[in-house]
Amino acid sequence: MKHIITIIASLAFSTLFYEKHIGLNLSIFSIITIGVLAFYNLSAFKNKQTILHTFIYLVTAVIVFMQHSYLSIIANCAAFFTLIGVVSQRDTSVYIYWLNGLYTSIAGFFHRNFEASQTKEQVKPKKEIDWIHLTKLVGIPLVFIIVFVMLYKNGNPMFNNLVSQINFNFINIQWVLFSVLGYYLFSNISKPIQVEQATLADLKTTNHLNKSEHISEEKLKKEKQLGTLLLGLLNLLIVIYIITDILYLKTHDITKASTLSYQVHNGINTLIASIIIAIIIILYFFRGDLNFYVNNKNLKAVTYLWIILNIVLIALIAIKNQNYISSFGLTYKRIGVHVYIFLTLIGLVTTFIKVLNIKNLIFLFRKNAQIAFALLVILSAINWDYTITNYNLTKAKAYDIDYLIKLTNRNAVLLHNKKDDIIISNANRLRIENKYRNYLSTVRQRDWQEWSYDNIALDHNTRTK
Amino acid sequence: MNIRNNLAKSCVLAALVFWIITGLGFEESNMVLLVLVSFIPIFFIASLVILSTICSVFWITEKNGLSKTQVYKRYFPYYAIFTFGIAAFGIISTNFSIFSIAFFSSAFITTSQSWIWFAKNKQV
Repeated sequence: MKHIITIIASLAFSTLFYEKHIGLNLSIFSIITIGVLAFYNLSAFKNKQTILHTFIYLVTAVIVFMQHSYLSIIANCAAFFTLIGVVSQRDTSVYIYWLNGLYTSIAGFFHRNFEASQTKEQVKPKKEIDWIHLTKLVGIPLVFIIVFVMLYKNGNPMFNNLVSQINFNFINIQWVLFSVLGYYLFSNISKPIQVEQATLADLKTTNHLNKSEHISEEKLKKEKQLGTLLLGLLNLLIVIYIITDILYLKTHDITKASTLSYQVHNGINTLIASIIIAIIIILYFFRGDLNFYVNNKNLKAVTYLWIILNIVLIALIAIKNQNYISSFGLTYKRIGVHVYIFLTLIGLVTTFIKVLNIKNLIFLFRKNAQIAFALLVILSAINWDYTITNYNLTKAKAYDIDYLIKLTNRNAVLLHNKKDDIIISNANRLRIENKYRNYLSTVRQRDWQEWSYDNIALDHNTRTK
Repeated sequence: MNIRNNLAKSCVLAALVFWIITGLGFEESNMVLLVLVSFIPIFFIASLVILSTICSVFWITEKNGLSKTQVYKRYFPYYAIFTFGIAAFGIISTNFSIFSIAFFSSAFITTSQSWIWFAKNKQV
């Protein structure tokens, strides 16, 4: 029964994906994957953690159908590995889910093959299959039959004619091989496995720091002095930087694209260096017993101030980026800067929590990885091409029409609808028209496996017209 | 480790996987010759990869007193993920050509199976 389920799933895999683009097939594949996982690991699906990740995986499957973007596909793949990792071992960190999920998906068969060979049952003679004899039984007659058929073909025209009529062209070998790939994948994920060392190490590691048995107060005092002085001076430096930055923003004309671009990119580089150094310094001083030192209040105060000032720095960069966007339009790179700024903010907040609640480095990795995963899923739900085009055409003071036309077809309908309301050259208007036609023909030519929400919307529009 | 035996098995496995995927499109007269000749480069490539990336791991870790099972469980997952990554990159960067699919699939399956053969070996 178990093999039959895997075989059916593998045939469905070929039907869905063989020579097809991504679309509805990935959403259906997600549902089949959940079905196969639940069938083989029913007990795991009674747990809240697994149910939550199953729901996230289903959400990403719906997003793939709705958005049909690379980001949604990446989010769906990430959710796939996460779910398999959860079924494998639910009490680990999210990055161990990914590791176990990835390992299960690509090498589960080999791992289980090795494990099976280690069990005693496998070495019992009565259960062993004589593969060599079996190969001889099949292989040797097959080879000789082929050789003799080729010899007889030349000796008898009627036999030659008969052999020539044998045609296996109706079998699509590549489709069969693709099904084998599907079988391999479903066989791998049916019983999720673990990267044992990494999983065990992660299970043993808590989020809390532990106090050493022997604390040298003198050593801690010196370290605290060094930390307070260093962070105090860095605070002073960053305050001066922030003041000059605000003054520069108020006194200089920054409406030029080149100036704003320089400001944002330069600011980002400063931010990267500043945040990385800030977190390393904080992690160094709060790596151990200084967390438990009674007189660490001043050090903690300058650390919190350092984090807050870095957040101010982030806000300044965000303002510059937003100015850049409102003046010259939204682009993927400018969205990327906002995402980076947000992630940096999260990094600083989690570092703040780490110091406040005496957590360890693993806590930072765990929380930041969880937030990064959640952010990926959320961001994948947005049609960015549409958002960029809509913002630029309705709110931005200036925009690059060439950039908008070169985006994927996901903004084709919007561009087509707005083309007569905006001031553009006839050549660009023609390009938009061509893009729209290309979009229509691409959507209409799709097989059912490649469908997305666009197909439904287009069909609905055609009926209502 | 029974290196010669494992290399021979790996070579046959690599050739089998490679020709199942790619060789089906050739004319039968060329096919036999091609398969026979292909054993030479396949043997060299498989031997080179297996000796340098799998045997070397067993040789180095042998000195630390790890059993073959421990070596397999500790290093194989990362090796499999890494080789899969290279294979996927190779296939995608060659625009899914049949040759590259056959080559990289063969390499991934053969190296993964070789790990099992070496780890199962009782002989030290």
